[in-house]
Amino acid sequence: MKDLIRVRSLISAEVEMLLNQQVKKEAYSSSIYLSMASWCNRNGFDYSSDYFFKQAEEERQHQLKFYKYILDMGGNAVSPEVTGIKQEYNSFREVFEEALDQEISVTQSIKNIYARCLKEQDFVTNEFLNWFLKEQREEEYKARRALELFEVIGEEGTGRWQIDKHVGDIKYNSEA
Amino acid sequence: MVTTLIDPQTSTWVDVFSTKQGAVYQSDAERCWYVDFAGKVAKFDYRCLLKLKKAVYNVDIEAKLLETSKDPDVEIIFICACDHTYILTLMQIIALKELMEGTFVMLQLNSILQDRLYRIAV
Ligand SMILES: [Fe+2]
Ligand SMILES: [Fe+2]
Repeated sequence: MKDLIRVRSLISAEVEMLLNQQVKKEAYSSSIYLSMASWCNRNGFDYSSDYFFKQAEEERQHQLKFYKYILDMGGNAVSPEVTGIKQEYNSFREVFEEALDQEISVTQSIKNIYARCLKEQDFVTNEFLNWFLKEQREEEYKARRALELFEVIGEEGTGRWQIDKHVGDIKYNSEA
Repeated sequence: MVTTLIDPQTSTWVDVFSTKQGAVYQSDAERCWYVDFAGKVAKFDYRCLLKLKKAVYNVDIEAKLLETSKDPDVEIIFICACDHTYILTLMQIIALKELMEGTFVMLQLNSILQDRLYRIAV
């Protein structure tokens, strides 16, 4: 008996489902960052607002990368519903704490897909995911560095103003 | 078990899975499946077979069993953009669900076997 499912699609139903979940996660990240951009802007943290606008755009690109991969492999990409976006934050610091939490949860979820693909010996998808693993290194680094600024600069006096100014300069340039 | 399969054309059909109530066959040549259920044999491509599975899985059997209304105990399985519609009783839904479950397990098993056997052989 011919493997008709394989003829149709390179990825298994399970991997397709996981990738679609990731599409949704990236869309959620994008919306969360957009909401953070709004909060920062409203509270006078313009550099951070710009930073989050950029992050929101990046997450959108991640979403599309997954989306197109599913389609290219013969799967069914599902446009996600995104709900429950938090609009208010209690403090400037809380925004960055949640940004890091979000990135960590994305890394974990990509690791999950990777593990599943290894189990199925779906090396093609593993290779596709490599780009995201590297990306998460940068994403977590940046989010962690932003939080570090709260420690090294301190929030007292003009601290928050200083922190905001430095958020825009955070860069990750590792050759490794 | 199945009485509708006297047609000589069907000789190239391979059994995928069958129960007392129905059966699913695969045609390699046509790249499709034939579902023999509720008195008819219907042809499904992969996309439609997935839709059928989804439609059947989406019926909340437990809720239907607990329902006390006087509405007839009938469910319509309509599959968007496919040619077939099923009008089934709750018992038939349960049977079709069993058939789908078995079918997809067998198809998955076939995928695994093909991958492990032939990938190494070539
Ligand atoms: Fe992302
Ligand atoms: Fe990210």
